[in-house]
This record gives sequence, C-alpha cells and structure tokens, in this order.
Amino acid sequence: MIPRRRMVAPARHDQLARLASFAAAAAAEVGFDDLQINRIELAVDEACSNIIDHAYDGQSGEIAIEISGERNHHVLIIIIDQGKPFDPDSVQEYVPTASLDDAKVGGLGLHLMRQTMDQVCFEFGVPGVGNRLTMQKFVRGR
Amino acid sequence: MTMPATLVVRESTAGEAGDSSSAPVPVIQASGRLDASTVSILEHALMRALHTAAKVVILDLSEVTYISSSGLRVLLTCRRQLRDRRGDLILCALSQNVRDVFDMVGFSALFGIAESLDQARQMAAGYASG
Repeated sequence: MIPRRRMVAPARHDQLARLASFAAAAAAEVGFDDLQINRIELAVDEACSNIIDHAYDGQSGEIAIEISGERNHHVLIIIIDQGKPFDPDSVQEYVPTASLDDAKVGGLGLHLMRQTMDQVCFEFGVPGVGNRLTMQKFVRGR
Repeated sequence: MTMPATLVVRESTAGEAGDSSSAPVPVIQASGRLDASTVSILEHALMRALHTAAKVVILDLSEVTYISSSGLRVLLTCRRQLRDRRGDLILCALSQNVRDVFDMVGFSALFGIAESLDQARQMAAGYASG
C-alpha cells in the first residue's frame, strides 16, 4: 500500500497544476510509468476543471482529493466537491473524427477521463459528502 | 502553497530574408504546461498571428510537456479560422505526452503535424507556392 493522502484546494484554475501534481506524485509511488502518470494527471485536471467550470460555475468553493493505492497494482482517486450536480449521461459523447467540420469539443474532458482511467464513477448529493467522483487505474490497465 | 502552472510563448516569423513572394509565416514556440490556467497565453499569441495576413501559422510544441482539453479546444478553433482563409495551423515536434493525448482524441488525424520545425517550414512553403 502507499500512504493514503488528502488535499483540499480552492476551486480555481490556478490550482489545477497543484492538484494534478499531487496525483502524479502518488501515481509515481504506485509505480506507473511516465506516460501513465501523465494520463492520471490529465484525468484529475479534467475532473477538477469540470468542477470549477460547471459544478461551481464561477462561485467560490473547494475541491478535496483523496488518494490511496497499492504498489505495482492500482491507484484510487476520489474527488469531492460541494457544487451543483450534473448528469454525465446528458453530456454529448465525444466522437473522434478526421473531419474538421465534424470535430466537436463538447464532452472532450469526460472522454479523456474515461480514456485515461480504468474506472470512472460519479455520485451526486451523497449525504454528508457532496459530489463524489471515484477514479481507479491499474498498473496493467489501459 | 500554490504551484502556478507556467507557459511561455515566443513569437517570430519564418521565411528567407528578402523573400517578398508571400506574407511571413508566424511561428509560435510554446513551452511549459498548457491547461485551463495557461491557455489564454497561447490563445492571445495565436490571435496576434491571426490578425496578420498570414494564411499559415506554425506552432512548435516541442517544449510543451502537458496539454489538457482546454489547449485542444484552442488549437481546433485556430485551425478552423485558418482553414476559412484557405490556410492551416501546422503543429510540430509533439512531445510524447502531447502525442498521446492527440491520439486519444483523434487529433493526430485532424491536424497537419510536422516532425520538426524545418519540416513545418517546408509544409508552410507549400501553401505559399500553392
């Protein structure tokens, strides 16, 4: 196991690198390679960007990130906010295309989270918690 | 403690001295981390390039170590604007991390990507002569 860790940051874009780096350090301890660490950073960045832009929608708030894991096996990342809930199924699915006319940017962040992590689970309005996003990635996963 | 992300852009033009056959090609070299907190720096540089008569803009990403969807959106918007003037946004020298993200979202098939700045200049010259 790696030591469980927790960080709370203001929900602002200037905190994204800090939040992503926090996850990257834990991922390195688990034993992910550099490319996979970048993917984990990206998933955390996209998740937190969505929270800042949509859940808090310009209002002040906090993002809490909790990370645990097992060496050479997996990392588990839980991100909690107190903003507005959203329905992930309502987000237009991003479909990669080679056509500049057809390319859309909607759903890009969610697409990247699902591409980079093995499991992505949203829960909203959890009593005593708030909105909770759980993401897991295995060392031998995608 | 806040650890701010940083992105630095350098702006220049490509083209042989004395070559007056076409507008100079703006070359933007970015380095650092391209996320929601820094994307406006690149966006402003691209806007300055778009305000010239240039049909083609070269963006050197060799020193960009990280890109999120915020950066991807700006690149797509810029390429569309240049396409509307029958030009292009030519990207060059993607790092492994950036290439990985491009592959995940299909941008590798959507953009003209040069392996080096020299190759990007050659591609841009093709637009000038074409």
